[in-house]
Amino acid sequence: MKKNEYLYLDHAASTPMRDVAFEAYKKTEAEAFANSSGGHALSRKAKNILEDSRDNIAGHFGAAPKEITFTSGGTEADNWIIKMPFINNKNKSAELVTSEIEHEAVLASAEWVESLGYKVNLVPCDNRGVIETKDVLEAVNSNTEIVSIMLANNETGIIQPVKEIAQGLKALNSKLIFHSDVVQAVATTKLDFHNLGIQSAAISGHKIGGPKGIGIMYLSSEVKLPSFLHGGKQELERRAGTVNVSGVASLSAALDEQQQNIISQNEKIRNERQEFENILKNSQDIIVLGDDVDRLEHISNIQFKGFNSETLMVSLDLQGLGVSRGSACASGAQKPSHVLQSMKISSDVINSHLRFSFGWNSKKGDGIHAAEIVIASIEGMK
Amino acid sequence: MRVLVAMSGGVDSSVVAGLLKSQGHEVIGVTMKLWEGPNGEMPETGCCTASDSEDARKVAAKLDIPYYVLDYTESFSEKVVDNFIDMYARGLTPNPCVECNRSVKFDHFLKQAKKLNCDKVATGHYAKVVEKDKTFELHKADYLDKDQSYVLHMLTSSTLEHVMFPLGTISKPEVRQIAADLGLKTAFKKDSQDICFVGKKNYRNFVDKRIDISTSGEIVNSDGSSMGQHSGVHEFTVGQRKGIPGGQGAPKYVTKIDVRNKKVFVGDKKDLLTASFYLEDVSFVNDIVNDNLTIQTRYNSEDLPCTIEMLSEHSLEVTLLEPTYGVAPGQFGVLYTGTKLIGGGRITSKLNEALTV
Repeated sequence: MKKNEYLYLDHAASTPMRDVAFEAYKKTEAEAFANSSGGHALSRKAKNILEDSRDNIAGHFGAAPKEITFTSGGTEADNWIIKMPFINNKNKSAELVTSEIEHEAVLASAEWVESLGYKVNLVPCDNRGVIETKDVLEAVNSNTEIVSIMLANNETGIIQPVKEIAQGLKALNSKLIFHSDVVQAVATTKLDFHNLGIQSAAISGHKIGGPKGIGIMYLSSEVKLPSFLHGGKQELERRAGTVNVSGVASLSAALDEQQQNIISQNEKIRNERQEFENILKNSQDIIVLGDDVDRLEHISNIQFKGFNSETLMVSLDLQGLGVSRGSACASGAQKPSHVLQSMKISSDVINSHLRFSFGWNSKKGDGIHAAEIVIASIEGMK
Repeated sequence: MRVLVAMSGGVDSSVVAGLLKSQGHEVIGVTMKLWEGPNGEMPETGCCTASDSEDARKVAAKLDIPYYVLDYTESFSEKVVDNFIDMYARGLTPNPCVECNRSVKFDHFLKQAKKLNCDKVATGHYAKVVEKDKTFELHKADYLDKDQSYVLHMLTSSTLEHVMFPLGTISKPEVRQIAADLGLKTAFKKDSQDICFVGKKNYRNFVDKRIDISTSGEIVNSDGSSMGQHSGVHEFTVGQRKGIPGGQGAPKYVTKIDVRNKKVFVGDKKDLLTASFYLEDVSFVNDIVNDNLTIQTRYNSEDLPCTIEMLSEHSLEVTLLEPTYGVAPGQFGVLYTGTKLIGGGRITSKLNEALTV
């Protein structure tokens, strides 16, 4: 890497678009810009691209095409599945079960459900950052409409026992919906929704080298869910609004490249992260979260005891390394992370964590380079 | 030099960033988030609003400098707001800007600058740092109308070494002109006057909501007779007319507040004449000077000739050559010789000796 090139290690927040995704986007806008719901030749062209992409995307996730609906992103899918079961629900005792470490899209939707008067059960994670299956199952009762547990946490990368929870829920023979926010997991994991045993999932295009503003809502054909957006009869009458066909085609192309190369991609990411973590562990007083549990290949959440993460992040930025303090926050509020709080990380170090996340375009040497910058910053702050 | 500039989103600090950048310094802009709403959002009124930080961001983008919003809410709340409420509850008149400079801007912010390997911090205050033989003096701004050295009196030479006030030699109209020349959108933005965390709201309501115990009590006339009840000592400050029952002929003023007994004493204007008072928590920029001393007893007020006598390391007695009205306990007394700031401390009135902290 050239000395003055900016090193981006915030792929968990967003990834650069892959060339194939760019090309697919431009080609679709140029050649199939028409409204995919129209009745003429150009609309048919757009519709064909849309449905071919849907088939292709469904195939990557072991889903049927009709189980895939395109949304504006992961947040919309999470909102949809969390909120809609409680709209006009005749059972005023209906309940929602989710975890304390979910993404804000889920947690804020859950708060909204709670504001309608429904009970929301928030399951904590353990000190390792893992949600225990038994805790989820214990929170479920005959009134539970929906359970939402993320497949991997976006701040720590720690993988949750979603398949085990799905099996447990199935054994309870409940009719509830099991939703999983897989937005972060999909960056470095091959997923089969049927095999996972979930009825619903949220995916975001820009976490895998696709464009922003496009996402996927997987909804098992067993589940009926009222529409969230009303208007035209697009997307099998499930979601109104002219379909972002270029975004869909672009996401489909990004997904192809990602899934075909996932083994080599993950190996590269793993090596860089390993090198990064090893250098820091051997020279600094740090703790890597999730070191002893299953963790996504690309995320390192590191505790720098005695250092304020806000100041450290600024220092890294000034030296050309972009990372984040967990989840993006525009206002600069230094609120302690809800994920770290659930992990019972003590208050004197809770604002000493930074998230480093590698991605599909990380290059050999990024890990060493990042570690050098971090060490220089820490030494400068001492 | 690498300089960390505190950018409020106003025209002054915008110009500071622009001037330093044009002088070839490596400039980093920071908006200090001092105060927040219940959900961590930036306030909508007062200073440090979301729209102010948005202005600062736009200026930083225009100047092509790195820019951050950093969180100082904890220091600010602990050191400035709590103190503000506490002072009112004790019948004193606080100056939150001084506390903010002391504890936040020239303490926490300066420490952060050092961690970020910055050589200096710069703010949009109108004041001058003058270096003489490796010591650093604080002087009034050339443009006296805007001089803000009063609120910076607690800075010592060793702090001033790391501080720049680039507006010390520039007038406000010139500042606006520079901003306009640089194409900064804050060029004609109105100056903010409010106490930043209280905004346009009545500060008494703000204090009311945050004081647990009732401080209501008696209003006592100069002859010792009762003039009725008041609803809280924090609603009064020495020299105030508002809130005192009328019908007494000559206007009455608050002359003394006895917090312990929750009594507000009133008298005639002449009772407010003060010839001598104390300063406590005194600090000096450099050495103590006792020649040609003057004192300001409020922000940017008249310089009153005086002499001082040290009572202890951090307290002294001020004697004015001519008595004056309106010396309010809790405000700061700031000593100058000519334009050079010597030091300052918190005013304690002899009348209010019982209240000495």
